[in-house]
Amino acid sequence: MDHQVKDSADEIKRLQRCINDLLSLLALPAFWTGNEPSQIVHIVLDALLGMLNLDFVYARFEDAADAGSSPEILRVAASCRLKAPPPEICRALRNWINDGGQKSFPPFRDSRGDEDISVFPVPLGIHGEMGMIVAGSERADFPGQTESLLLGVAANQATVGLHEARLLTAQKQIATELDRRVAERTAQLAATNEELKRGIAERKLVEEKLRHQEREVKRSEVHKGAILDSSPDCIVAIDHEGRITEFNPAAEHTFGHDRSDVLGKPLADVIIPPSLREKHRTGFARYLATGDASVLGRRLEMTALCADGREIPIELTITRIPLDGPSAFTGHLRDITERKRSDDALRVAHAQVVRSEERWRSVFENSAVGVALTDLDGRFIVTNPVYQKMLGYSEDELQQLTSLEITHEEEVERNRALISELLEGKRQQFQIEKQYRRKDGGLVWVRNNVSIVPGTERVPRFLMALSEDITQRKLSEEALARARSELTKVAQITSLGVLTASIAHEVNQPLSGIVTNASTCLRMLSANPPNVDGARETARRTIRDGNRASDVITRLRALYSKKEPSPESMDLNQATREVMALSLSELQRGGVMLRYELEDDLPPVLGDRIQLQQVILNLLRNAADAMSTIDDRSRELLIRTERDEGNQIRLSVKDSGVGFTPQSADKIFEAFYTTKTGGMGIGLSVSRSIIEAHQGRIWAVPNDGPGCTFSFAIPSRPQGSADAETKVNRADSSADAA
Amino acid sequence: MESPKSRSGKARLLLSVVDDDESVRESLPDLLKEFGFAARAFSSAEEFLSSDCVDKTSCLILDIAMPGMSGPELHQDLKRRGQEIPTIFITGQRDETVRARALKQGAAGFLLKPFSDTALLAAINTALQAT
Repeated sequence: MDHQVKDSADEIKRLQRCINDLLSLLALPAFWTGNEPSQIVHIVLDALLGMLNLDFVYARFEDAADAGSSPEILRVAASCRLKAPPPEICRALRNWINDGGQKSFPPFRDSRGDEDISVFPVPLGIHGEMGMIVAGSERADFPGQTESLLLGVAANQATVGLHEARLLTAQKQIATELDRRVAERTAQLAATNEELKRGIAERKLVEEKLRHQEREVKRSEVHKGAILDSSPDCIVAIDHEGRITEFNPAAEHTFGHDRSDVLGKPLADVIIPPSLREKHRTGFARYLATGDASVLGRRLEMTALCADGREIPIELTITRIPLDGPSAFTGHLRDITERKRSDDALRVAHAQVVRSEERWRSVFENSAVGVALTDLDGRFIVTNPVYQKMLGYSEDELQQLTSLEITHEEEVERNRALISELLEGKRQQFQIEKQYRRKDGGLVWVRNNVSIVPGTERVPRFLMALSEDITQRKLSEEALARARSELTKVAQITSLGVLTASIAHEVNQPLSGIVTNASTCLRMLSANPPNVDGARETARRTIRDGNRASDVITRLRALYSKKEPSPESMDLNQATREVMALSLSELQRGGVMLRYELEDDLPPVLGDRIQLQQVILNLLRNAADAMSTIDDRSRELLIRTERDEGNQIRLSVKDSGVGFTPQSADKIFEAFYTTKTGGMGIGLSVSRSIIEAHQGRIWAVPNDGPGCTFSFAIPSRPQGSADAETKVNRADSSADAA
Repeated sequence: MESPKSRSGKARLLLSVVDDDESVRESLPDLLKEFGFAARAFSSAEEFLSSDCVDKTSCLILDIAMPGMSGPELHQDLKRRGQEIPTIFITGQRDETVRARALKQGAAGFLLKPFSDTALLAAINTALQAT
């Protein structure tokens, strides 16, 4: 028994030892921390080695982490007497495993020779898919039950551990893969996110742009709308089928259609007159077919139809709208009724203007007087042929000259002064008679009517001169003046002739009377019985007439005497009275009633007594003659002297005779003018010369009633004034040239 | 020269004198009456024409120069009217042309003042005989 007890105690120890080992094995997972397969295997092998007192322990396992590899681990106990190096052992083991592991493990040499090693494979995993542990021991009874158990448990542990490691690794791998994938995904997502963000940003930009564009488009739309709406031109757009797509307010107004009514309708039906529709359609079709754009972009004129049936002339420009796709067109139309009307009116007006211009041009060219237009400096702008001919210059030559340059020096200053007044606005025009110097040096007398022509927007002011050649008239006037002065001289020279004529006239009357009366007297005395009373009467008349003749002679002699004229300070009243006395008989014979009103205290005049009395007598005689035919009223003659304004003395002779016509008013003082047949008409002309020589004037005015009044006025002079003396002397000496 | 004097109241021939000179009108009719004519004096042609003597005048003694209608004008006027009267012009103007014109007009006589009574009578007789 002891032996049994001792075996039981050993058994119990062994079992205890086995349980401890088991526990240790079960506790092994706590050691493999990193789940590293090789670590796990190492730990297990180590544990086995120690636990079982193995000579070696070998494991080949699948490293999940390193797929496809089968790492081997060999732990050889120090006490192992194997001589083979580890790699050889491994190789042998490998081979043995590969052979199925059934055969006995090839013996190895050990220190004592070849010894058999008992090897015990323990698969890892049910089918050894995890690998193999091979425990090797020299002991022959290896492996015992408990050792098998322990190996089995260790293998399980290792398997579990490897599984777990594999799982973990797989997990890790998966996790890593997951991580990787997640990271990848994350990165992808991030990238995608970035891209998205970018995309969003881009899109935002694009949207912004789009919005902007939309705004632009909208603005453009509004703009276009405004243009369409506000355009005074009709704007009509059509599509490729010729239907109206746009019809602006101006078009509505012009054609009388509402936009809503015409949109979509064929243009041809709406505004093209029936007569032109076919042409439009064919033209449109041709364009679409051939692309012939001969009507595009040009201003066309045609007729259009309004809603009320009127046809109006329009101007039209068609353009193609440059869009992709089918053609569309815009037409700009304008009602040109007014324009046509005003064009016509303009044409008519233009024609009128041209005609008027031609007419005025013709007037200018063919005027009977010279016409010259000058600038304000007098430089000739344009002249007509008459003017050029008058001066002997051509138009070009005149344009180099001014009017004053060709004016005679004597008149230049006066001319210049008048022009200045014109330019200053002091006068609208002036007339001047002056001489021009012709190109050939000769002089012409002209009468110029010069006016200033106001400026217009296009043309500045200028001067216009109408120039009449009065050379002939001037010469005639000069000749006449010369003739008149000659005549005055002649008249004075022929005063003797006048005297003779006067005497003949004056004396003839009484002489005639004498002869007749004397003849009658003789006959009466010769009668039987003699007519003594009659003879007495006729004799008396004879004597009277004889006296009258004598008076006449005396008077005439006095009046026409040749003694030197002496200007003296004389009383006009006294002189008048003397003349009246001399004429009284004559006047009475003419049945003239003489009245006189001589102003008292008349200042003296300085003059030639005889000459003045000559004048008074002339006036008296004329008055008497004017009344000689008057029968229906009394023949009244009034002589009056009076003070006149300006220190003058006036003498008037008023008659109630036949008067004179207004036409002859100018002429009566002219030489040779007379209404009397047989009269010489010298009297008033000479009278005027005499009065003018006395610094006076003589005139005639018709009366309110019948007849007229002749008057002269001469200055009154105090006694002893030298000036008047000289003047009167000069006048007298010229009067007495003979 | 015979003067057709008649004191018996038989009708005397009427001579009319037209002259604006009063002395002529004063003196000439007396002389004519001495000749044996009846005489009337007028101061103007117009006065004569408006008188009733135009038809009765056998001879007209007419001054040439008169205001208003002159002597020759009166003569023409009478001719136009068909009442031509033998006319003797008297004048103080010694102008040959005047005389020539007057005679051309058909004057029966022309005398320059002053004229003698015989000259006058001769002219009157000539004028009356012409009719």
